[in-house]
Amino acid sequence: MASTAVGGKTRRRRAFSKKDRVTLGVFVGIPTFLHVALVWFPAVATIGLSFTYWTGIRFSDIKWAGIANYVNIIADTPAFRIALKNNTIWLLWFALIATPLGILLAYQIDRQIRGHKFYQSAYYMPVILSLAVIGIIWNFMLRPDGFINGLIGRDITNAVSFFGDDRWNLYVILTIASWRHIGYIMLLYLAGLKAIDPSLREAASIDGATEWQTFKRVIFPSMKPVNIIVVVITIIETLRAFDIIYIIYGTSAGMPILGVLVFQNIAGEGASMKGAAYAVILFVLSIGPILAYLRQQFREDVK
Amino acid sequence: MSEVTNGVSRRSVLKGAAIGTAGLVGGGALLSSCGGDAATGPLSFGARTVDESPTKQLKALVAAYEAKTGNTVTYNATESNAFQNNLSQYLQGTPDDAFQWMAGYRMQFFAEQGLLVDLSDVWEEIGDQYAESYKIASTGLDGKQYFIPQSWYPWGLHYRKSMIADIGMDPEDIYSWDDLMAVLEGMKGKGLIGLASADKGGWEAMGTFDILNARINGYQFHVDLLGGREKWTDDRVREVFTYWEKLLPYMNTNVLDLEWDGAMQLLLQRKAGLFFNGSWFGANFKEQSDADYEDLWIIPFPEINPEHARDTIDAPIDGFCAAANGANPDGGKDFVKFAGDMEGVQAMLDSGIPMTSANSGQDTSTYDAFQKQQLAVMGEAKYITQFLDRDTRPDFAGPVVGPALQSWFKNPKDVGSILESLQSQWDALPPL
Repeated sequence: MASTAVGGKTRRRRAFSKKDRVTLGVFVGIPTFLHVALVWFPAVATIGLSFTYWTGIRFSDIKWAGIANYVNIIADTPAFRIALKNNTIWLLWFALIATPLGILLAYQIDRQIRGHKFYQSAYYMPVILSLAVIGIIWNFMLRPDGFINGLIGRDITNAVSFFGDDRWNLYVILTIASWRHIGYIMLLYLAGLKAIDPSLREAASIDGATEWQTFKRVIFPSMKPVNIIVVVITIIETLRAFDIIYIIYGTSAGMPILGVLVFQNIAGEGASMKGAAYAVILFVLSIGPILAYLRQQFREDVK
Repeated sequence: MSEVTNGVSRRSVLKGAAIGTAGLVGGGALLSSCGGDAATGPLSFGARTVDESPTKQLKALVAAYEAKTGNTVTYNATESNAFQNNLSQYLQGTPDDAFQWMAGYRMQFFAEQGLLVDLSDVWEEIGDQYAESYKIASTGLDGKQYFIPQSWYPWGLHYRKSMIADIGMDPEDIYSWDDLMAVLEGMKGKGLIGLASADKGGWEAMGTFDILNARINGYQFHVDLLGGREKWTDDRVREVFTYWEKLLPYMNTNVLDLEWDGAMQLLLQRKAGLFFNGSWFGANFKEQSDADYEDLWIIPFPEINPEHARDTIDAPIDGFCAAANGANPDGGKDFVKFAGDMEGVQAMLDSGIPMTSANSGQDTSTYDAFQKQQLAVMGEAKYITQFLDRDTRPDFAGPVVGPALQSWFKNPKDVGSILESLQSQWDALPPL
């Protein structure tokens, strides 16, 4: 369980022997090098390239474009606005529906309701599947010649349009994505709940607190490290959404979301650095709220 | 389809990587023995399809090559959309030595980047087996050839002769827009879908745009529009959508749910009367049964503007390239030469899968009725275009036109703003 350890003010300083230093140097140095080479270098290169025109093949073809790619995206590309809307709905859905549901389930299972072991594994099952596999499974289920349409006796001429109809297809996708997200949040939260000292709960019930009061006043606040992770994960999962959409719609922008727009503009023959500009926009959108949130949390800790 | 995509493409990438390494190790030894094209050593071939019929056809080609040369060929198959999306990375990494690709801009672009093997000398050897137009389609911007054509197919209006006869029309006598409307009405009267349509993949509807534009405004306007010399905001483009809108009431309502093969199923299962598509799916009909295949017919898209009659057709050419970064480029070259030579073509024909080969050695008298009709459809056209996503800039076709047509299907009344947006997105493209 990854939890942010707080404290350590009393930790003793100690001198490292030469051997220790070499060991530490290797153990820290190699991962740092790999991290810089494989994460930071590509990230910085992408930011740089987003200000250029390039087909992605010969370095000599790179041409300075200034902010033209961004202007193009923001001013001229309708898909960008739709994607932004879709990602926002996605975030709201995850934040207001999927994540709270995951917390509720975790709480119920932690209270050891009847059959909790069964529920626990049932809800956790989708999490072991990758989003791509989930996309494949649900595509089989919901496409025009898929299982559900077969079950209700419709063929491709009059199949229910789960993926094609704009009025609800985003919510179909969100339901599928939640199928996994709920289990994920549940697991994180459950691990946190298990770590809570039972005496807290006892004390609360002796004081006559209701179940809801206990959760709201005692359990929830003492779960703070887990809560931070849950918020961050919810934001990240929203913005990195790609796999399910790619499996179901391909790159056709049948369902524009930011992740797909990055791919659509950078993969294939139509490679242009507009894709890099999308990636930078996505990066700023993800890093912004997360940094703001973490900063605020840590500031409270200092208080 | 796409669920197969990832599994396959990933596997073949891994496989490709393994082969690449093996090839590099073997490559050193081969250099010394290099001389004739007799022993070019083991090579790998990348197929741009996982469908049953073309796979059978390509495997027959590979087997014939192996039997003739003794070189072993590793066959790597990738679903076509995935192959296309990865091509740029594939060609820069460890590509298969020979691979299936398309003629025109798409080939020229990669040739310009130095990623394809110059096949000019192959063309000198086997070029006399091809009509001049194929050589032009195989030529890069530098005047050298980089492509060996395999086959072509026309984009036309397909139907089942029996179904047209059922509504009391002569299946071989549909010529004009009015005839088309009569068929659509007839099908509607029988409670059927008039025109099977798909656009989930984002490219299927481009064929309909191409042909409507060519029929209404003519070849020259179409080519100029795709080349950026005419504007999308032109009233003539608007006219295309006015006609298209007249077809909408006869289409299946789930256009955005179906990919091309879904729309084909509508025709195959006799649920739709007409299907506008490339003729390659004839093989799928034959897979189903010979009777279904014999019932299948194709005509050019009907005339709308008498000035242009039926003088233009989308007829994309598919074929082979050799990858410059392959482990065994000489082997790749040797393989595509065999594929282009009548001997290789014959091996593909012998697999029994219908193919209209680009090679003039294929005796057209052996064509079946449907193939002969494809030839007739081609013969009627004066101008041949490839396809929207092969005739305009790749950073415009897929990412811009595709979504624009999809949003038009969602809301046909938005045509004005969609066309304005198309034009402004064209204007915002980076200079070439």
